Amino acid sequence: MTRLRLRYYALLREQAGRGEETVETAAPDAAALYDELAARHHFSLSRSQLKVAVNAEFADWSRPLADGDEVVFIPPVAGG
Amino acid sequence: MTAFAFSREPLDPAALAAALADPAAGGFASFEGWVRDENEGRAVHRLDYEAFVELAEKEGERIVTEAAARFGVRGARCVHRLGELGLGELAVWVGVASGHRAEAFAACRYIIDEVKRRVPIWKKEHYADGDSGWVNCERCAGAVHGHDHGHALEPHHGRDQEPPAAFDYSRQQALPEVGAAGQRRLAAASVVVVGAGGLGCPVLAYLAGAGVGTLHVVDGDHVEASNLHRQPLFILADVGRPKAEAAAGRLAALNPQLRIEPHVARFDATNAAQLVALGDVIVDCSDNFRTKFLVNDAAVLAGKPAVLASVYQYEGQLQVARPDAGGSCLRCLWPDATRDGLVGNCAESGVLGPVPAVFGSLQAMEVLKLLLGLPGQLRDEVLLVDLLSLDQHRLRAPRCAECRDGRCARIGPLATQAPATPVEVSLPLVAATAQGYRIVDLREPQEAAREPIRGVDCIQWPLARLLDEGPARLDRETHYLLVCSRGIRSRAAAESLRAAGLERVFSLAGGLASQRAGRASSGSPP
Repeated sequence: MTRLRLRYYALLREQAGRGEETVETAAPDAAALYDELAARHHFSLSRSQLKVAVNAEFADWSRPLADGDEVVFIPPVAGG
Repeated sequence: MTAFAFSREPLDPAALAAALADPAAGGFASFEGWVRDENEGRAVHRLDYEAFVELAEKEGERIVTEAAARFGVRGARCVHRLGELGLGELAVWVGVASGHRAEAFAACRYIIDEVKRRVPIWKKEHYADGDSGWVNCERCAGAVHGHDHGHALEPHHGRDQEPPAAFDYSRQQALPEVGAAGQRRLAAASVVVVGAGGLGCPVLAYLAGAGVGTLHVVDGDHVEASNLHRQPLFILADVGRPKAEAAAGRLAALNPQLRIEPHVARFDATNAAQLVALGDVIVDCSDNFRTKFLVNDAAVLAGKPAVLASVYQYEGQLQVARPDAGGSCLRCLWPDATRDGLVGNCAESGVLGPVPAVFGSLQAMEVLKLLLGLPGQLRDEVLLVDLLSLDQHRLRAPRCAECRDGRCARIGPLATQAPATPVEVSLPLVAATAQGYRIVDLREPQEAAREPIRGVDCIQWPLARLLDEGPARLDRETHYLLVCSRGIRSRAAAESLRAAGLERVFSLAGGLASQRAGRASSGSPP
């Protein structure tokens, strides 16, 4: 199990009902982590509509996760 | 009862107001113009009003009708006196009844301003010294719409005042990195600002304040009362005016030394290249993905920096595309143009005024850093700030593999971004149904519940599901009219479904808001 710090922005923050959380997960990579969270929080956006950043760097969904990583999910926003 | 009338008899404001009584009206505003005892320094003791009645009645009627349609009010009327009036007499009365006070005030203001500007009425002033003279009321309106003149009511401004002080940059020139040389660089610079909204207002105000010599303001929208909480360049009397013009007027008044160019147009594939060519830096202050990607692409193709920001409720994102310096752009992060409507815009999701103000100020700061060559410019990064938690993240967003030598393989010619056939139609939903369109309401269930579509059958199909399942499940022969609150999501969805091969999908222009305002009047049948 890896322990991760998560941050949500915009629509994901609304749907998760929180801006951040700490989780323990068996998900090996960012994609599996998002799928796990999407099921738990009923996220409406698919992965292809989002960006993920791990430790302050935008990352591929196949990026492996390690204990202590900070993972940020970012939907695009367009308001002005 | 006509909406505009002349009267040779004294007016009775109470009776006029009572005639507009309406149980559904929650607000009533009226304006009274009185005969004043002075005009341009001369004492006046009575007035004669004359009008070219046939023409004046038609024009007056047109103005009141325009105001009713533009502001969505329930009832409006204007009555103007003719003949001889003494001091203090009521010369013109405007009354507006509407659902809420904002439209009532705005429509009332619009009617009196336009009547004074457009309706052929003359007044003969009889002065205390026995002299008299004819004055065309038109000149009272002045060059600047919204300038505050009562009808022979208020003193004229500006005649005996000192010339305005020269704009003073001393507080920023005192910074060693700016100085006189920096000020000259700013004066020589030109910046194109796309969107004069929540982001655009602070960008424009601070760049004008900083003395950026030329500002191009690009916006095809009109000021709405719902803009005012976050767009401080505008005042209530601007409601209904083109935003580019209203903003340009305000900026020119702030700093007359600058060249401010309003472009009352939507930034689109047909004008993107020409508009981008006008600036050294492009600032994206738009409120939709379609425009944001177009600004990015046009800037990259022109090799110019673009400062991009977007906000959502309490948070926002800032990025600076630097094709001129081998830096990353919006496409490095989002290779495929994101579709509008996946996440809400300000109209749909709500926004607190200071949120775009913070991000617009950050954009202005990045523009000044670029123009002045200051250190710390945001590059190959995205800044995320959550203004509720005050958390911020700077995320590395390096140049993608497709960007090479200032070109990005992901960006095609701009012209390819224009849809081949118009996707927007503008007509009442009842007429659309009669013409054979199937109405698809793609708003979220809670939005649709809050404000249901009445009077026509429609399919409820929230956007994400429609985009997902629509290509497989929609009938290729049926004409679908997609509807959302403002026409942004429906347009994006229609374009997306068109791209998936569904040729007969259309979007209701302006969304349900346009139906309420009574603007949906014409449309092409399927």
